[in-house]
Amino acid sequence: MARIVVITSGKGGVGKTTTAAAIATGLAMQGRKTAVVDFDVGLRNLDLIMGCERRVVYDFVNVINGDANLRQALIKDKRTENLFILPASQTRDKEALTTEGVERVLGEMSKEFDFVVCDSPAGIEHGALMASYFADEAIVVTNPEVSSVRDSDRMLGILASKTRKAEKGEGSIPAKLLLTRYSPARVEKGEMLSIEDVQDILSIDLLGVIPESQAVLNASNSGVPVVLDEESDAGQAYLDSVARFLGEERPYRFTTIQKKGFFGRLFGG
Amino acid sequence: MPRDSARAQGDALRAIELKGRMMLVSILRLHSSDPKELDIALGARMAEAPDLMRDMPVVLDIDSLGQVAVPDLLVAFEHVRQHGFKLIGLQKGETATQPLADASGLPLLVLSGKGAASPAATPSPKPAEPAAPEPRPASPAVHTPTRVITQPVRSGQQIYARGGDLIVTGAVSAGAEVLADGHIHVYGALRGRALAGVRGLVSAQIFCRRLDAELIAIGGHYRISEDILDHERGENRLITLSGETIRITEI
Repeated sequence: MARIVVITSGKGGVGKTTTAAAIATGLAMQGRKTAVVDFDVGLRNLDLIMGCERRVVYDFVNVINGDANLRQALIKDKRTENLFILPASQTRDKEALTTEGVERVLGEMSKEFDFVVCDSPAGIEHGALMASYFADEAIVVTNPEVSSVRDSDRMLGILASKTRKAEKGEGSIPAKLLLTRYSPARVEKGEMLSIEDVQDILSIDLLGVIPESQAVLNASNSGVPVVLDEESDAGQAYLDSVARFLGEERPYRFTTIQKKGFFGRLFGG
Repeated sequence: MPRDSARAQGDALRAIELKGRMMLVSILRLHSSDPKELDIALGARMAEAPDLMRDMPVVLDIDSLGQVAVPDLLVAFEHVRQHGFKLIGLQKGETATQPLADASGLPLLVLSGKGAASPAATPSPKPAEPAAPEPRPASPAVHTPTRVITQPVRSGQQIYARGGDLIVTGAVSAGAEVLADGHIHVYGALRGRALAGVRGLVSAQIFCRRLDAELIAIGGHYRISEDILDHERGENRLITLSGETIRITEI
């Protein structure tokens, strides 16, 4: 049985898809058979970030409707072993994700994979609810600014009540915080919330801190998950997060101002 | 033997006890008897705070309806009931007369402090004189258990402790709302809205480890964030109502 992990946030543009791609790739690099599913029906993006947009034939909604089987729709990643992508449909709307359909497809994937990573759309509407409904655990992606933190707080409240586990009375699913676009220099200047501020408000365990980095933008533009850029600070931070996710203890890096490293990032990114 | 029979007689009397008690009731004022209009308004009001409204005992004030036939009024009452309110009486007035009371089975009550409550306001309870000695439902326990929440109360969530106190061991986030008929204790930071004594208990208090609230209210009197001064915010705060003023002090 796979562990089903939802990558969620509430707010848009905080790095959910980048994170889903990076975490899924990281898990696959660790030898875990992993599928990453795009729940953002109508605004699909994961295939671009994963660099497989030209190989999409069938999508998630096709599988739900029975137009194609899972094997036909899953795209095998060319760079990373053990990694598969299930793209979203660009031509449908999110209502196409029926509870029964999603349950059936995730159930089928569960048998084959070690991890199923669900990339949630922004918002708290149907698509986002479907992405988290069957999850065993959640990674909440948050930027260190007030509106993102508040939306994540709202999302945590929803995760506590609107998952299958919660509805069955089995309690809320475990949720961990991934702080992205973190800039220690801007925290120092008081322009950004610190790790402690965010944790004080959200009070959940910290999975990782991803520094603000040009490498993320480069990775997205070139369709290569940022963890494959192992030289980059963001790539390393994601790999640390994946290791923590698998139970390893790692120190948090890139959370303080390092003079040399900081300039290195400026010019080297 | 005689002693036993005397005791038996005493026991028999002890089966009931008649007492007078002050009691706060909410008044539901109807401005229309049209079932459709009522359904829309009641449904909307109930949707706002279902926890708060469901099974809420209310006294109906129908004076502003003017002359409406008794059967139509009975239909209107039934619609109010269907939305979850418990009717406990009719505010005596020109429309609410004895024949209507007899037909509806609701007692006529004379309440003091008439007027004031605007229909648009949040359900602000009106204090009442010890009207007719309202038969209190035989409560199995005198004490309403305190509601204890051990999870953080997150943005968008609403927690209501009906009939008693509320304890939150974690934080109340901005955008969250906690309500209680009694006191509210928050052992984390209070960043959202806290409303104590929502059914009019003016002696209710709010205790919090850290005050940074969006709104605090006691017995219908409130202060919004803008009116909470910087020096009033901070650690270990007690919020009380003194007259009509919300007071914030350090514990």
